[in-house]
Formats: sequence, C-alpha cells, structure tokens
Amino acid sequence: MSTDQQDEQGEDDTLVNVADGVDHQVAMVMDLNKCIGCQTCTIACKNLWTEDGGSEYMYWNNVETKPGEGYPRGWEDSGGGWESSEHSDRSPGEIPDEEDYGRAWEFNHEEIMYEGSDEPLRPRDGAEWGPNWDEDQGAGEYPNSYYFYLPRICNHCTHPSCVEACPRSALYKRQEDGIVLVDQDRCRGYRYCVEGCPYKKVYYNTVSKKSEKCIFCYPRIEGEGPEGETFAPACAEECPPQLRLVGFLDDEEGPIHKLVNEYEVALPLHPEFRTQPNVYYIPPFAPGQHTEGGETVDIDRIPRQYLRELFGDGVDEALDTIDAHRQRVRQGGDSELMELLQDKNPAKQYRLEVFDDE
Amino acid sequence: MPASGPSWPRRSVLRGWSTMPDHRRTITLTAVLAGLIVVSTVAAPMVSARPAHEIPVSEVSTADLAEPDADGWAEVPASDVPLSSAPSSVPNADDTSIETVDVQAARTDQRLYVRLEWQDATRDTNASTPRQFADAVAVQFPVNTSSRPPIAMGGPDNRVNVWYWSGSTGTQELLAGGAGSTTPFQNPTVQANASHSGTGGNATWTVVYSRQLDAPSENRTDLRTDGDLDVAFAVWNGSNGERSGQKAVSEWHYYPFSGGPQGPPYETLLWTLAGIAIVAVVGVTSFGIYRTRGAE
Repeated sequence: MSTDQQDEQGEDDTLVNVADGVDHQVAMVMDLNKCIGCQTCTIACKNLWTEDGGSEYMYWNNVETKPGEGYPRGWEDSGGGWESSEHSDRSPGEIPDEEDYGRAWEFNHEEIMYEGSDEPLRPRDGAEWGPNWDEDQGAGEYPNSYYFYLPRICNHCTHPSCVEACPRSALYKRQEDGIVLVDQDRCRGYRYCVEGCPYKKVYYNTVSKKSEKCIFCYPRIEGEGPEGETFAPACAEECPPQLRLVGFLDDEEGPIHKLVNEYEVALPLHPEFRTQPNVYYIPPFAPGQHTEGGETVDIDRIPRQYLRELFGDGVDEALDTIDAHRQRVRQGGDSELMELLQDKNPAKQYRLEVFDDE
Repeated sequence: MPASGPSWPRRSVLRGWSTMPDHRRTITLTAVLAGLIVVSTVAAPMVSARPAHEIPVSEVSTADLAEPDADGWAEVPASDVPLSSAPSSVPNADDTSIETVDVQAARTDQRLYVRLEWQDATRDTNASTPRQFADAVAVQFPVNTSSRPPIAMGGPDNRVNVWYWSGSTGTQELLAGGAGSTTPFQNPTVQANASHSGTGGNATWTVVYSRQLDAPSENRTDLRTDGDLDVAFAVWNGSNGERSGQKAVSEWHYYPFSGGPQGPPYETLLWTLAGIAIVAVVGVTSFGIYRTRGAE
C-alpha cells in the first residue's frame, strides 16, 4: 500500500492512493465507447442479487441514457458526498422518492391472454416514470442530436460518504479489497446511507427494512462459485461488448492502473462529489456535427462542457490523449493505450488474483 | 341548612373587629397572614410537589394493565414528561415534533407496567417505501441500577436496556453501550401493546410495555431493585422523518422504588424561602404602618 506520505518521502513513487486501512482497492474501468445500452449487465446483476421481495425496484447496476434524468430520476441533484476534499463535513442529501426510482408496473396480460381483450398490451395505470423512461432521448437538434449510455454500479469509493453517514457503522469498507458493504446485522434501516451517497447507489429494502447495495460480486471474486474459480462481477463477465476491465487500482502491472494513473484517460464520474470513486470511465467519442446539407464539420457533437460536468476537467486531456494515440496507430505506429482499450484477452481484462499470495 | 342560620357568628366577629383599636387590628392581620403563609409553606409541598424527576409507581395486587385502554390505568397517576431534541450528529437532529409524553407506571409482585401516551396526528406504521418512517417510542433503564449511565444510549462501561416499539417492526428489547452500539436481544422478554386513537391534532398513541420484575438474563435490568430506578423516554414521529438520533427525549427520571424519604426536593426549599421572604415583607410593612399611625 502506498500513501501520499510515502510519496513525499520518496520511498514509493506511485500515485496510487488507496483508503486508510485498506490493503488493496478493487476497481473497474468502463469504456463508454463500447456500450450499446443492451442492459445485459443490469439483468445479470438483477438475476443474481435483487430478485427477492423488497428489492424489486432496485438496480444495483443500471444503464442510463445521458444526457438524461438517470436512475433514480434526478440523482445528480439529490445531494450527498463531501463539502470539501478534507472529507470532514458531509453534504446533506435526500432520499429519492419511490416514484423517482420507478415502480414495477402492472400490465393487462390477464385480459389479453385469457379474456380475449382487443386492447394493446400496456401498463394498467400510473405508468408515468420508470428507469430508462427517457432512454435514447438525449439532447441536441436533428441532425446534431446526441446521447450515450452510462452504466453505473456502486463506485466503492475511497472516501465513501455512505459509510460516514451511518450512525451505527453498519456500512464499512472492507480491509482486503476496499469493497463497501452493508452489515445486515448492524443495519436498522435509518437510510442515512441512502441519502448520503451522491450516486444514490445504496437502496432501502422495503421488506427487510434494511439497506442494500452492490457488493462487487465478492463471492465471485473470492472463488466461492461451484468450480472454485474466480470470476469478475457478473455485470462485467456478461457484457456482450466486454466494455469493463476489472482488477485492482494498486496493481501497477494491470491495465486499470495504466489507464487511470499513467495515461489518465479513465476518469471518475462527478469527481466534485469528492468521494473518490473506484469505477472509472473512458469518455465517449461521437462523430462531428453535420451541416443541414449532411456535411461533417469539426465541431463536437457531444458538447465538451457537458462531458466536463460529468467527468471533471480531466476529460479534455483524456480525449486528446486517446485521439493522439488513434492517429499514431492509423499512421502505422504502435500504441500500448490502443492495445489496452482493445484487449479481448480475459486474463488481462480481469486481473483479480494478483494479490492472492499475500 | 337554613340560609339565615350561620349569620350570627359572622356578625359578632365583625362587631368585635370594628371595635378593635387600629394598632391591634394591624397586629392581628399580620399574625393571621403570617400564619397562613407558614401553613402553606409547610403544607403545599406535602400535598402536591413530588421531586420534579420522580415518576410515581402504583403498587397493585392484580393487574388489568396490559392493554392501553385497560380499566386498571384509571387509578394510576400520570406524569407529564417534557421532551426535547436529543443531541446527535445525525442530519436534522434538532427537528423533532413531540414535546411531551404522559407516563404511568404500575407494579404487581410479578411485573412492571409502563404506559406512555403522546399526541401525534398521524399514525405512521408503514416503512415500506424508501421515504416512509414509522412512529416509535422507547423506555431506557440502566442495566446496572446502582449508577446512572450517560443519557444518550449509555456508555461502554455503563450500559442501558431499551424497550423499543415501532409501528413497523413491533417490539424489540435492546442493549446499548453508547450511541451507535444498539443491539437487539435475540428473544425479547418485553411485551408491548399499542393503539392510536382520536383524530386530527388530538389523536394520540398509547403504548403499554410490561416485563417481569426479575432480570430474565444477564444484561437485562433487575426491576425488583430496592433502590430508585432510573428511567428515560424517547419518541419518534415517523412522518417528520424522525429515526435514530433524530428523536424527542426526556432527561433521566426515576421510579421511587426505594420508598424512603427522597432527600430535600428543590420545590420545598423554594417554598420555604418564599414563605420567609413574604413573612418578612408583611412584618416590616405592618410595623411601618403601626409606627406611622402611632406617631400621629
């Protein structure tokens, strides 16, 4: 483990900064240029973890269209996180309303299937919002409309404000890999974690009356499956375009460390919340804008300012770096960065056993 | 009794009063006033004032007390216990809405019954959507009755037993050794029955707790104690988002199980001081008047 202090003393020249008391930090990089919005990750997660009573409305993994309201609706403006990088004062947050998550709709299957109704298949009533209600809507005017997909899980932050929010220490960041978990024996359903997470990735189970969240599929990465093999989280393994890299932030030989710390092309979502997420995104590229005549012009289709709002000011340099490496490869040169972003070898894509011998 | 009957003695008293010389009238008035004040000084605390933090416990032989509306409660005196926001680090800790709880207590030779009643217009018994919180109430006792733990959930060396009832989860028996350490007992030995009655601003919750006097296990308060038993109360209004440390709480009170004299309560002290002061003022004034008239 390395710290800022060690950096200052010159004992360790890495920039990897994991949380105090944590040995290693799991991390994920998602390449937004590969996401097709198929929701296979969402369903893989749901089938594994949130099918029981009280968790119907939860999507520990969701994919939302950006620009868009997201899931739960308006989460980016719901508060939470830290007031400053001192991590001493939390920003107050709000618990999203049931309607903002979206309720499970009832459909008229019965009437159509068994009672001979001629009505179209549709929700019975109250279908006014839901996850992905604004899917593919995006922003901009034809011919320059734009959108992209944003898959989201818990960021297993280095400074998790959900952990700090719990008056009972029911949430904790576990020592071996920095995964943030809710101790179901300690939780009393107060929901300070739900309001305190700026990403709204802690959920209240309406039956158990306790909070739940993404567990980074820790039984899979611990090899608890039938074959005793280690697997990456289901959302990553099941992804058709394989857009996720999974490993440890402090594994300096791994692709995540290189993308995040060396090339600085993988960026946290909303760094201004100051929780220091450990899920990173390769920002999206889009074709240039079109004139009414259909001619491509050299103007960003996705406004750069919008990307800065999502991924911070580092997005300009990240996009420039990727662009430069693309040009290099186009001109016949080599680029480790392009190799990393195109790698299809699971042994490199998922590096979860590098610290097993410790 | 005939209406004219008792008129004669009054007349004779008045006649006597009117024939009395002025200075003697003043002295008599002073003496009567002083006498009244002394009597009230001594009698008032005996009649009404019990120590401010004492909550009387009725000793009853048979108990019809388990239900909030049980007849037995009509004979049990009630104490108005003021509540205020608990000091806590949770958000909105100072935003609480319940200001007082009526407490009654009764003890048979087997069980202690505690009845709590407070005004709450909304009956919040559902916590089945993300924003819903349930109404709740709690009674806190020291585990070790010989010393008084820190009021906020006790301390690591001085734990508290909490009887907790919530509209959504029912009854729990808790052990705590400081804020954030609250842990439920696996097999609760406390019973609670609750009812919400009335409408609008006058609607009230009533919850009756009971438990056997003997401590059912380690870490549970022995209610058969001979000493005074410290007790504190907390109420949560679910529709105001109250939960955890966002709660209305009392100070420590006590059930006077020791039965002995309760030490000098401050009300008696205040009454005595006030009495002496009034006697002195009346005396000095009367003396002044007497001197003035005598000089004429």
